[in-house]
Amino acid sequence: MQSTYKMDFTEELKKCVKCGTCRAHCPLFVELKGEPGSPRGRLALIKRLHDGKIKPSQELADIVYTCLLCKTCTVNCPSGVISDEIILAARDSLNQSMDQSVIKKALLKGFLTRPALLHSCMSMASLYQKTGMHNVLTKSKLFELLPDKLNAVTKIMPDVTKKPARSRIPVVTPAKGEKKFKVAYFLGCATNHIYPDVPVAGVEVLSQNGCEVITVEGVKCCGMPHMAYGEVDTAKEMAKQNMDILLKEDYDAVISDCASCSSTFKETYLHIFDEGSKEYEQAKQLADKTWDISDFLVTKTGIKPGTKEQKVKVTYHDPCHLKRAQNIFKEPREVLKNTPGVEFVEMKDADRCCGSAGSFAVMHHDLSMKVLDKKIENAQKVDPDYLATSCPTCTMQLSYGLKKAGSQAKVVHPVQILAETYK
Amino acid sequence: MVAKEQLIKDLEGMFGVQKVLKSELERYTYTYDSSFVSQQTEYFPDVVVCLESTEEVSKLMKYAWDNEVPVTPRGAGSGQTGGSVAIKGGIVLDISGWNEIVEIDDINMQAVVRPGIVHASLNQALSPFNLFFPPDPGSSAMATVGGMVANNASGLRAVKYGATFQYILGLEVVQPNGDIIKTGGMKSKALKSVSGLDLTRIYCGSEGTLGIITEIRLKVLPKPQARGIMLALFDKLEDSALTVLDVFKAGIIPSGIEILDDGGIRCANMYKPELNIPEVEAAIFFEINGTKAGVESEGEQVKAIAEKRARSVEWATDADRMAKLWQGRAVIGAASARTVPGKTRIFAGEDVCFPISKVPEALRTIKNISKKYDIPVVIYGHIGDGNMHTAPIMDPLIPDEVQRTHKVAEEIHRLALELGGSTTGEHGVGFARTSYMEEEHGKALDVMWAIKQAIDPKGIMNPGKIWKLGRE
Repeated sequence: MQSTYKMDFTEELKKCVKCGTCRAHCPLFVELKGEPGSPRGRLALIKRLHDGKIKPSQELADIVYTCLLCKTCTVNCPSGVISDEIILAARDSLNQSMDQSVIKKALLKGFLTRPALLHSCMSMASLYQKTGMHNVLTKSKLFELLPDKLNAVTKIMPDVTKKPARSRIPVVTPAKGEKKFKVAYFLGCATNHIYPDVPVAGVEVLSQNGCEVITVEGVKCCGMPHMAYGEVDTAKEMAKQNMDILLKEDYDAVISDCASCSSTFKETYLHIFDEGSKEYEQAKQLADKTWDISDFLVTKTGIKPGTKEQKVKVTYHDPCHLKRAQNIFKEPREVLKNTPGVEFVEMKDADRCCGSAGSFAVMHHDLSMKVLDKKIENAQKVDPDYLATSCPTCTMQLSYGLKKAGSQAKVVHPVQILAETYK
Repeated sequence: MVAKEQLIKDLEGMFGVQKVLKSELERYTYTYDSSFVSQQTEYFPDVVVCLESTEEVSKLMKYAWDNEVPVTPRGAGSGQTGGSVAIKGGIVLDISGWNEIVEIDDINMQAVVRPGIVHASLNQALSPFNLFFPPDPGSSAMATVGGMVANNASGLRAVKYGATFQYILGLEVVQPNGDIIKTGGMKSKALKSVSGLDLTRIYCGSEGTLGIITEIRLKVLPKPQARGIMLALFDKLEDSALTVLDVFKAGIIPSGIEILDDGGIRCANMYKPELNIPEVEAAIFFEINGTKAGVESEGEQVKAIAEKRARSVEWATDADRMAKLWQGRAVIGAASARTVPGKTRIFAGEDVCFPISKVPEALRTIKNISKKYDIPVVIYGHIGDGNMHTAPIMDPLIPDEVQRTHKVAEEIHRLALELGGSTTGEHGVGFARTSYMEEEHGKALDVMWAIKQAIDPKGIMNPGKIWKLGRE
C-alpha cells in the first residue's frame, strides 16, 4: 500500500492491539454503533488492504472517509496508534487508485488552489444571497430536488456577504506603541472569505499588543482540505508555495487564527515531504515559527486589553485541531478571561468534536448533525451570549446548530471580543 | 444448516436490511477481539445482526433453533479469549448498541440495564444518586455490562468487592429455542433470594454458551465517602508481594491492590509521562476507601507496613493525582504495546490467578520464563487477589517470535495449575484456553457439559467456547 503521506503502515498498524478503547471515545461511533463504524474497525480494514487481502472499493472508501479526523481516538489510544494519520494516509492511497465524485474533485482541485477563482465564487455566492435568490429557492423547495450533498451545502452555508479580509486589512499594520515583534499573518481561505471579521480583529489585537503585522500576499490554502480527501500531491504544491512566501522574510512568527491552518503548518507538512529534502527543512522552520493567535498573545506578547467592557457571558468550544493537535486549550480561555467584562462559563464536553470536520458536514450531513446536536445541547445549557471558538469550520457548524435550535447566541473567535474593548 | 444466501435473506426479511451486516468488509470487523488467537486465524461469521429488543432476540433464536444456525453473542469485542468470535460461522449477534438503563432505584440500591450499557457509562449515571457498581475492569471505558456478566468479570477492586456475580440479582435470558426466562430476582426487588436453584450463577460466566442475556438487575452500593491512593516502590519484586500479605495480616482490606513490574512502570510512564514513576522492580498501588477517618487511619497503617520494605511510599488524596495514578494503572493492558519500539503486546496467557501465598514465587518464575524464551513479558494486575496479567511483547510478523510466545503462554498457564491456581481469574476461557479445561476441572467438566446439553441440546450457542469444538 503506497501513500504520498509519509506512513509506515506495517509498523503503525502493528501497534493496534484491538483493545477497543477507541470505541469509548469516537464521537461518530456513538451514532453509528456497529464495529465497521469504530476506529478499530476502520484500522482493521486498512490493515487488510495493506496486507493485500482486499482491494480498494467504494465500500471501503465509504468506511475510511466516515471519520472526522478529530484525533480523539489517537490521544486516547493506550497503545499509541496514530489513527487519524493512518486514515489520512489511507485516503491518499485510495485516492491514487480510485475515482472520486465530481463534487469533491471540483471543490478541491479547481477551487481552493486558485485564490482568484475562489474569491469570484465567494462573490457570486454573496451576490446570490444579496439578491435573495437563496431565500427564493429555499422557499420554493427547489433545493430538495438537488442532490443530497448540494442540499446540505446550502443548509450550512453562512452569510458570505462581507468583503474579504484581504481587501480590508493593509499589507502592513504598524504596532501601536512599542514594537515588540514583526509577525506574518496567514489569511486562511475560510476566515478571509467567510469570516473576514476574524482576521480584521486578529490584526487589530496583535497591533494593540506590540506587533507589526504583515498580511502576507500570495499565499495559498494551507492544504488541509486536500489532504483530508487524499489529495496529498495537490497539498504538497500549495505547501511549497506557502513555505517559500512565509519564510522569505525573517518574521518573528507566523500567526494563524484558524486551528486547522496552524496545525497543518506545525505538524502535517512534516509528514508529506521526505526527511532531508529542502522542503522538509522548510517545513521544520515553518513549524517552529507558527503560532495560534491566542497562544501567541498569552505566551509572547501578553494581553493589554482596551477599556471598553463587553458585559457578555461566553463559553468556549475547543476545535479538534487546536486542543488535540496542538495541546492549546488554556490560551483561548485566557484571552477570554482577560477581556474586560467577559463572564466565562465552561460547558460540558467543550472539547468534543462539533461534527464539522471541514466538508464532513456536507458529505455526511445527517451523521454530522447528530454529533452537532449534542454539542449545541451542552452549549445551550450554559446559556451564553457568545459561543467562542478558534476554527472557521467549527464556527460555520456551530452557527448553523444554534440557529437551528432557535438560539440567539452568536459564534465568534475569542479575539473578536477582545478587539471590541479597543473601540 | 440453511445456506448462507438464504440465511441473509431471511434475517433481512425479519429485521430489515439496516440491522443486517453481510458484506465481507463488515463481517471481517467481527472476526477479532483483543485475543491473539482471534488475530492468528480469521473466523468469519456468515452474517452479523444488530438487535435492540428482547422480542427481536427471541425471534432470532427461534429461527436459529429451527434452522440449527450457530449464534455468537457479542458486546464491545474487548474480550481477550476470542469469546465473541464465531469460530463455527453462523450469526454474530451484536448487542453492544442496546445500551439502555431501564431503571435506577436508589432507595432499593439496584439498577436494571440492557446488556450493551458500557460499564463507565453506568457508573456515570449512578453517580448523581451517590451509588456505584463496584466491579471495575481495566476496560471500564468500553466493556459492556452484558459482556461482564457473560464473563463474570471483576477487575481492579475485586480484592474488596469481588466479581460481577456478586452483584447480579437476576437476569432475563433468551433461551437457545427462543423462550424468554427471568432468573433469580429479575421480577422482584428483593436483595436476597434462595428460592430454587441459582440459575443466575449458571448464566453468569457462561460466555454466551447457554443463552442471550437481554436484561440485568444489578445490586449497586453507596459510594464511599473518601478515597486515597498509595504508591509504594520496591527494589525487589518479592518484597512487593510480601508487603501485600502483611497488609492482610494487619486486618486491612484495601479496595484495590495493583502491581506493575519494571516493564509496566516503563509503559505507564510512556502513556502518562507526568506520572514519572522511578523504574524499580515493582510498584504497588493500594487504593483505600471508606469514611474519611477510616481512610486516613488505614492509609497510615498501610504506609507504615509498606515502608518496612519499600524504597519509597507516596500517599495521594488529591483527586487529580489519584485519577492519574489509577488511570495509569488501568490502561497498562494496551499501553504495554509501547514498551519496545517495533513490537506490540499480545493477549495470550494473560490472566492467570495464583494463591496469594504463591504470588512471590509465581512472579519470579514468570520472569524466568520470559528470559528462557527471550520474549519480554510485562507483569501487572491484581496482586491483592493473586490475579496476574502478563503481556508478552513481541513482533507478530516474525514467525519464530510467534512460536516462542505461544510457548511462554503455555508455560504460564501450566505454572498457574502447578501452583494450585487457575488459568483464568477474570477474562474467561473463550477458545483460547479450552485445552486446559480438562486438567483444571476433571470430572466437573462433564457436569458442566451436561448442563450445556440440557439447555442447548442442538449446540447452537457460541460453539467452541469453554469446550473444544467437536466435544459433541
